[in-house]
Parts: sequence; structure tokens; C-alpha cells
Amino acid sequence: MSEFFNQYFDFTIMGDHFSEVLEGFLKNLLLFAVVLVLALSWGLILALLRQLPGRKFIPLRGLTIAYIDVFRAMPLLIIILLISGGIPYLEFIPKEIRIPNWFGLPDPFWYGVLALTLVYGAYIAEVYRAGIEAVPAGQVEAARSLGMSHGQAMRHIVVPQAITKIPAPMLNELNSLLKDTTLVSVVALGESLLIGREVLAETFNSSAVMLAGLMFLVITLPLARIVDYLIKRNQGKITRGSHIEVA
Amino acid sequence: MPEAMVKLAGIRKRFGALEVLKGVNLEVAKGEVVCILGPSGSGKSTLLRCVNLLEPPEEGEIFLEGQDICKGPDSGTGEQSWELDFVRQRVGMVFQQFNLFPHKTVLENVTLAPRQVLGKSREECESKAKALLERVGLDDKFNQYPERLSGGQQQRVAIARALAMEPHVMLFDEVTSALDPELVKEVLDVLRELAAEGMTMLIVTHEMGFAREVGDQVVFMDGGVIVEQGNPADVLDNPREERTRKFLGRVLER
Repeated sequence: MSEFFNQYFDFTIMGDHFSEVLEGFLKNLLLFAVVLVLALSWGLILALLRQLPGRKFIPLRGLTIAYIDVFRAMPLLIIILLISGGIPYLEFIPKEIRIPNWFGLPDPFWYGVLALTLVYGAYIAEVYRAGIEAVPAGQVEAARSLGMSHGQAMRHIVVPQAITKIPAPMLNELNSLLKDTTLVSVVALGESLLIGREVLAETFNSSAVMLAGLMFLVITLPLARIVDYLIKRNQGKITRGSHIEVA
Repeated sequence: MPEAMVKLAGIRKRFGALEVLKGVNLEVAKGEVVCILGPSGSGKSTLLRCVNLLEPPEEGEIFLEGQDICKGPDSGTGEQSWELDFVRQRVGMVFQQFNLFPHKTVLENVTLAPRQVLGKSREECESKAKALLERVGLDDKFNQYPERLSGGQQQRVAIARALAMEPHVMLFDEVTSALDPELVKEVLDVLRELAAEGMTMLIVTHEMGFAREVGDQVVFMDGGVIVEQGNPADVLDNPREERTRKFLGRVLER
């Protein structure tokens, strides 16, 4: 039993490598923060493209839907490998872009940013879409009848209401995003999992990997509680009801 | 005969296999109040929504102040070919469910479109909005959110919001149907005032007394066509058509 415990919770190993693993975890958080901003924006753009009205936007809508479907259907790990294993060799792209070293961060970091943004943009677009579709049609009709363009109605009426309807599913996506930053370890980004595995390879002991996992728990467990709270609060709102929600 | 404010010629509209409007002709003079009656499903709401192109008709023509607003190479296929700006800045609409913007205050509800669409200054829009809200009896609610208001108050905000765009024609789609009975009068009083001021109005309603009192013309629709139209006394008291008689019989029995 103690052998089992020591394999995962050897406090000496955890202590020895704590600062390295923490440094790696901060890279996970940095990756998460950068992708958070980019994917929330890219997802909103995709969701809005998908909502464009009229016949002339059929091709653009179709492309958007295809993009969203494909990037949600493809395993994220494969996308990361396709990007990091392909883009560096596309010589028509300037070197500073295909092998980026921006802000002192190595190229695997930026390949991770690109892959995660491409994939999570697609997931997040679907979350926005659920919010947009939950705004009653009468809201758009009222805005349009007042002379607002489709874009003005989206910007001032639909999107502000849509985002108040989706905090729980959005936090779920962001929770997954944070955890999925560990996948970038496969392209040798020195984040917490990679460091944990290096320690594992040296010591044949999993405690450093466990330590990385525990660091994630510190963030993701409270997030789960917050999601539950938001879902409950939202249900309360629905059962209380308001004149506006009754269609 | 002066040019009609709104003229509908042979309007047809279908939703899938269901033909909701089967050729509607109607002329509304400037300053005229037309009340549209009819059983549910008769196409009266759809007709209103055709006039401001929320539901563009597949066939037929709509003239607004003499301008044909449904011509265009792709008639009926997409919004691009429609004279949307021309229409929506001249035609105001008020809905059964109010459709106020719940995330905006009363004042913001009224000022949003003039500011965004007409590009007017905040000061100008706000003073105008306040005057309109005073006119509908809501001068103490500027900074409230819609959910804090009664249905009647919300509907009066919706009327002020539409009026803020200075429309030439107002469409009212069963605007008292979602209200508690005691709140109906405060909304109808606003409509009465607008009529007295000479606003051109198309009103879909189930309020027979109101139609009789305020309407210059009453239109009875059934099955996607206008069955009968004329001055309110004729249509409501001496309907010529059997279908009108049946409908009025059922409604007035209540």
C-alpha cells in the first residue's frame, strides 16, 4: 500500500520539483489566457458569420458550418501535431511567422495557441450560437422594425442578451480548454505535464505528474462549483419568469 | 383622390405549403385608421408584417407613399432587394408581446434606434424620448428596466420607442391581447390620441368597441383574403357577408 502511495505521492519528489512543475503550470495558464482571448473572439466571429441573413451569404454560412463541424470532429492532438509538424516547413511563409518566437516564447507555444484557438473557436462558436438562438425572435423583429441593420441588431440587442444566457456552458468549455493545454506537451512545450514526465523518466515515480494534476485541480474544481451555481441561478430565473420571456 | 399612404395590391404570402395571404388589396389614406379584424389564422398579423417587410410577400406590390417597396430582381428571395431603410424608417410597429429590450432601460429602449440608425446625438434623442414617454404617461420610469413595469406600461414604452423614429405609418399587432383586462384601456387611450393627431394606423385588434370608435375603416379578414371592408358601422352592425356575421356573432357573445 505504501508503495502505491509513494508512486503517486512521494512528497520528497514533489518538493524537489515543485518550482519546476509550477513554472510549467504557469506556462499552461499563460497558454490558456492567450487562447481564451483569441478563441472567445474567433468563436464569436464564427457564430456571427453563421447567423448572416439572406441568400447571398449561403456560401459563407456553409463554409462556416463546415469549419465548425470539422474542427470539432478532429482530435485536438492530431491538429496540434499537424500544425507543429507542418507549418515550420512551409517555406513560402516568412520565417518569423512559421517559426515564431514572439514575446520570448518558443515556437511550440505558438503552435499550441494556433491549434487550440482553431479548435476551441469552433466549440465556443456553438456555445454562442446556443445563446443567440435563445434570444426570442421578437427581439430581432423589434430591432429590425426600428430600422436597425442586421449588424446593429446583433451588436446592440442579440449578442448582449445571448452572452447572459451561456455562462455555464462557456465555463465548461474554458475548463476543458485549460486541461487541454497539457496536450501541447507532445510538441515539447515545457509545460507542467512535460516536466512531470521528465521527472517520471528520471525517477520512475509519478509524483511530479500527480503534482501537475493537483495544480489543475486547484483551478478546475472551484470552476465546477461556479458552473453549478450559475446553472441553479439560471433555473431560478426561468421559474420566476418575467413578462419578456413569455413568448 | 390623393395618393394612398399605403397601398397593397395582390399580396400573396406562403409559409411552406400553407398560403397565408391569397391576394390582398387594400388602400390606406394619409391619416386614416384601419382596424383589421378576423379569426386567428386569418392572415391579419402576416398582412401587417408584410407592410414593413418583416415577412416580405412572394407576390404582389406594396406602395408606401407612392413608392413601390417590393420591386427588385430577386423579389421575395432575400432582403437585399427590398427597400428596407425606406420602409423601416417610415413604418413603426408595435407587437403583441411588446418586445422591449430587457437589457436596456426604458430611456435606452427609446433612444437606441434614433441614435444608431439616424445617428442623432444623445442629448437630442434623450430629450425627445423623455417628451414621448411623458406623452404616454411614463415620465417617472426613465431609468427602470422593462421587467419592473406592468404589461400596459411596457406596451406604452414600445409605442414611444416606435414613435421616436418619427414614422409616417404605425402598425399595431394585437397590442392589447397580452394585457390584463384592466390595463387595456391605458394602451388604447394612447392609440386614440395618436388617431386624433392624424397618425396613419393599421391596427389588428379584437377590441370591437375600439374599432367602431376609432376606425375610419374596418377590414374583416378570413382565410387569407379580405372578406369585407367599409366604415365601422356598416361592417360591424350590418355585415353583408355570412362569414363576417358568424365571426362577429361568436366574438360579441362573450
